[in-house]
Amino acid sequence: MIVPISVSTKNDNPTLPPSLARLGNDELCLIELQGSLDVECNESCDRDGRLVGKLNVDNPDKPTLLIGHHLLEGKIANLPKPLGVLQRNTGSQDSEVVPDAQEKPRGEPRADLNVSTGWTIKAVVKKKIVFSKRPMPITNLNRKP
Amino acid sequence: MDLKFSPSSSQEAGSFRLLELPPELCKLIESSVDNTPYLSIKGHASEDAVLCTADKTYSLRSVVLSNTVIVATASKDAGGGVDIRDQLHEIIELVPAVPKLHKLTGLLRGLEYDEGDEDRVLQMSHYSYEQARNETQASEAEFNQGLKDRRILVLDGQLRPITPAHLSTILELLLNYLVSLGLSHQAAPVEELVSTLADEHEIPRQVTEQVVAWFGDVNEGLWSMDANAVTTEIGLGILRHHKHEPISNAVFMARWKKTVGDSFEAVVQLSLLSGNYLRNTSLASDFDETLTYFPSSGLPIEPAARFAELFLTRPRWKSEEIEPFLSDIAINSKERDKLLLKYARALTGPEGVWYTARVSFNN
Repeated sequence: MIVPISVSTKNDNPTLPPSLARLGNDELCLIELQGSLDVECNESCDRDGRLVGKLNVDNPDKPTLLIGHHLLEGKIANLPKPLGVLQRNTGSQDSEVVPDAQEKPRGEPRADLNVSTGWTIKAVVKKKIVFSKRPMPITNLNRKP
Repeated sequence: MDLKFSPSSSQEAGSFRLLELPPELCKLIESSVDNTPYLSIKGHASEDAVLCTADKTYSLRSVVLSNTVIVATASKDAGGGVDIRDQLHEIIELVPAVPKLHKLTGLLRGLEYDEGDEDRVLQMSHYSYEQARNETQASEAEFNQGLKDRRILVLDGQLRPITPAHLSTILELLLNYLVSLGLSHQAAPVEELVSTLADEHEIPRQVTEQVVAWFGDVNEGLWSMDANAVTTEIGLGILRHHKHEPISNAVFMARWKKTVGDSFEAVVQLSLLSGNYLRNTSLASDFDETLTYFPSSGLPIEPAARFAELFLTRPRWKSEEIEPFLSDIAINSKERDKLLLKYARALTGPEGVWYTARVSFNN
């Protein structure tokens, strides 16, 4: 079996705000969290489009992420080796595709998916934002966004 | 700025992967503004997948992260902000690997090409070039080199390893015609050689053309012969008959020189065949020195098994004797010495260093 990989790092996707684009790629960035974002919801699609928190990278030495009443402080780290970000090619490109109820992309691709299986290197990333410290509780949280 | 789940994050979950790029691969991708590099992941469901570029092979290894890596892109909403596209818990590491070409030998068993077997072709199973290229875990350049090294012909799109005996015959004919037609072995017109062999010996043109390309460079229709390679192959052709009955060194050398002819006699050297023969000196007399055919390509690939077999063949080896039989499983001399340290015991005697088995496999 051969799974082709194409490279398309220059797309016409919206570009990131300049403070994030400084990380080396203007369309895509990587954020590393200790632990994971655990969202309670009945249907996994409930979380689509929902707000997670506020990311602030105006000060490149001290990026912050505010989630609810917790403030995370992080840093910008160089990756030891550049990472290529691969995205699975979907049949009809992009997000408008109707989800196939059975498709669970983890693990081996099923044989009948081979026709459209393929991956695209969307970006080569050399830096990431790491939030490795414990979150600090914020008590006097103002109501302003 | 706002960090949100993308509107399609639940559908897209799992559609991203992170691939650690070795420097040379990174350069290749970054330099690919308009010439898209050819990359692919190859492998049968039962094999570990490999990533192939045009000329290199990497094995893939998944490394689990305890942290989460979020892939974020700019939001399509008017308000700006950043969308979470996927959350990942692993990255894929790439490790340079040797192309897995040894599979070819097994796949092509029974498909050998020999003279006069055109009739057999019809009943034979087929294994095409395309099929083999798709199923072999090697990059295109490595695959083509592998076919050349293994002396596999591509006839009408099918793979046919040539039998050693027939190959020797063709090479001997080529050498003879170089002399009798008065051609220079550095610039011999391929067309003339191919036609002569086709007309007088019924050797198909495509066979000769490929053989010629294996043993030298073809440039603008002129063949610059690799004299060492041809001489080696012919020597092997003679030695191959002496797997069980040893041949005296002197007799062998004389026969070898006679076969290659006067013009290439000077190239003949026993060292060309290193890794393919065993020298047996019996009872101090130099005249009794004999050779047997012992190809390293017939030994196991796995180091432990190879050492076991080597020490079964001979209980002790001089280092210069054992080295040729290790060169194809070690990438460089440092790796080879590591293997020797691990699997053999060095004994320093009056005649130099001898290697013996670390564990006795005989009892």
